[in-house]
Amino acid sequence: MSLKLDPRTKLFMVLVVSTIIMMSATTTLQWIIRLIITLIPIGLLIVEKKYASAIRFLVMYAVALILMLRFLSEKPDGLIKSLLIGYCGIVVQFLPSIITAWYVVRTTKIGELMSAMQKMHVPDGITISLAVVMRFFPTIKEEYASIRDAMKMRGVMLGGGNAFRMVEYRMIPLLFSCVSIGDELSAAAITRGLGGKVKRTSVVELKLKAADYAFIFIFTLATASFIFFKYVK
Amino acid sequence: MMEDIIEIKNVSFKYKGSEEGLLKDVSLSIKKGETVLLTGASGSGKTTIIRLINGLIPHYYQGELSGDVVVAGKDIRTTELYDLAGTVGTVFQNPRSQFFSVDTDGEIAFGPENVGLAPKEIKKRSSTISREMKLEPLLGRSLFELSGGEKQKIACASVSALMPDVILLDEPSSNLDWNAMEDLKESIARWKAEGKTVVISEHRLWYLKALVDRIIYMNKGKIEHEWSRNEFAAFDENEVKQLKLRPVKLEENFIENFRNGRLSGHNVVDRDSQKDDIVLKDFYFAYDQKPYFFFKHKLSAEDGDMLSLNIPRLALPKGKVIAVTGRNGAGKSTFLRCVCGLEKDCKGVIEEDNQVYKGKKRLKLSYMVMQDVNHQLFTDSVESEVLLSMEKEDTARCDEILSELGILEYKDKHPMALSGGQKQRVAIASAIGAEAKLLLFDEPTSGLDFAHMEKVGELLKDLAESGKTVLVSTHDPELIDKCCDYVLCIDRGKIIADD
Repeated sequence: MSLKLDPRTKLFMVLVVSTIIMMSATTTLQWIIRLIITLIPIGLLIVEKKYASAIRFLVMYAVALILMLRFLSEKPDGLIKSLLIGYCGIVVQFLPSIITAWYVVRTTKIGELMSAMQKMHVPDGITISLAVVMRFFPTIKEEYASIRDAMKMRGVMLGGGNAFRMVEYRMIPLLFSCVSIGDELSAAAITRGLGGKVKRTSVVELKLKAADYAFIFIFTLATASFIFFKYVK
Repeated sequence: MMEDIIEIKNVSFKYKGSEEGLLKDVSLSIKKGETVLLTGASGSGKTTIIRLINGLIPHYYQGELSGDVVVAGKDIRTTELYDLAGTVGTVFQNPRSQFFSVDTDGEIAFGPENVGLAPKEIKKRSSTISREMKLEPLLGRSLFELSGGEKQKIACASVSALMPDVILLDEPSSNLDWNAMEDLKESIARWKAEGKTVVISEHRLWYLKALVDRIIYMNKGKIEHEWSRNEFAAFDENEVKQLKLRPVKLEENFIENFRNGRLSGHNVVDRDSQKDDIVLKDFYFAYDQKPYFFFKHKLSAEDGDMLSLNIPRLALPKGKVIAVTGRNGAGKSTFLRCVCGLEKDCKGVIEEDNQVYKGKKRLKLSYMVMQDVNHQLFTDSVESEVLLSMEKEDTARCDEILSELGILEYKDKHPMALSGGQKQRVAIASAIGAEAKLLLFDEPTSGLDFAHMEKVGELLKDLAESGKTVLVSTHDPELIDKCCDYVLCIDRGKIIADD
């Protein structure tokens, strides 16, 4: 089974999940809504066959949640207990949006994202910058790996025990190579017409399907009821 | 006669901030449908001419420009770069940095999307191009997992997608092996057949000699000679050498021999073993490891085809230059990485001078000069770069090393401010400073012109004479011819012996 959601739906999910986690849940009903919007992206990860990350997220969230609700909520006394409650609190609070973001990043191609942003009438400048940033992550990873190799060879992984050096030896070659790659990259891109006055088109054609509407409905409902029960009632 | 499509008239150019002019009163006209090769030493102005035609000069690289450049009726100075996109297309030297997308399909569509073509038309063009260029196996893949040759193929396809009349190639073969060069040759031949005007700036000439209509030889910012294809083909190797050009025929013969497995007596495995040989034992390595629970599976020769490197035993002569050659992806780089101990999973052992080096100790014995030498220069001066490698900082010895390599005068300079060749020397200096006995070079001559290649060759010879053992991975037959005592052939991770 495959379920291809529109990038716009995905972005909407990120927005909803981050909004909801920013409001603290106090009643059982609010907790249930939170749980639902956490479990949906985990389910989507499973549908996309990303089993390993889905299970990892699920276990992490469940452990933190159970610890916090069952054992730690009454009286946090002692150092370990208060540290644990802080840690679990952060996980429970923010993991849902991390899971959703992870799902979006792992399943969206840059072309799709650009096309979606064009449809939402985001200015080309922002769309293109975002695409460049996403294009650059793998490059940085590659460059960084070569630099680490070079450091291993020189035996300077620990910078001679100097933390400042350790950072310096990594950053300086990385910056130099990224700057030169960036320079060549932009020269290549503008010879291929980037930045023209013509409206850019996109080969990726997007259309909201039934599944998209369903997810948008569920997430809108979740937000609305969360806000209703928290602030109105 | 056909009309001129590129017209360069009395052009002089000087990059912003540099004192010397790069082009001096150059005039050149190229006819529609012509295929022209620009050649000459590095810094002779080849790339500058390419940048003039695609408009990167003066719009992207700024400087003082005088004279006129007209391409397909458009005055380059007053035409914006994005308006040139449908007229002039460029394939650049470095396959790594000319991509805008992360996947192949997006890359081919990128140009047409920019000029606002309808999605339907873009799709039609992409499918025609991928059929013609046989790109089907590459479609839908991440660009980061492709080899240099495959990346360059996609670069050619994405230029084709804009259907420009003029196609420029700036040293396109620098990072390619022979097979990939054949593919490149095919792309150029197809453009030529379609009636496109093709201008190529290039050092390696053999693969182009049957394709080009005209050869332009540049020297110090001027056009010094111009030959037709037939005139150029009549040159013998000595004349080519005198012009400081890369040989035209050598490479072809070499490839022919290589394909037939003949390497005329230089193969390192055919040598009688000596007492002071450096012996490598049990070098096995695999990129795709089987999943494991607690204990990693120890690799051995029995793993067979799964191995990316499979060398049970290899004896290397001490104090010689040994070329490591083979196709792209045959395992040359893997071999070098394993020898110098960068791959932890490779449990190979090196025996040298009655000492056994294994695990992390291998890092001490050997030193690799990387293809992109920028990755291994960390400090703010040449001197501290060498001192960093030394176990005990010894400035006198450091000066000695630097003067041997002829870079003593740059002692206090920032390594990043040096030229490519000088940076390479700094890396070598730190290798000597670290007292590495085994020096490994990964493609040290890719993209170099004849003179620089010769210099690197001499340097390698000198290093061998001073007692270092040098392993060079290369697909540059000229370098092998120039300086290598032995050849080591790798295919599918195994060492190939002569029949």
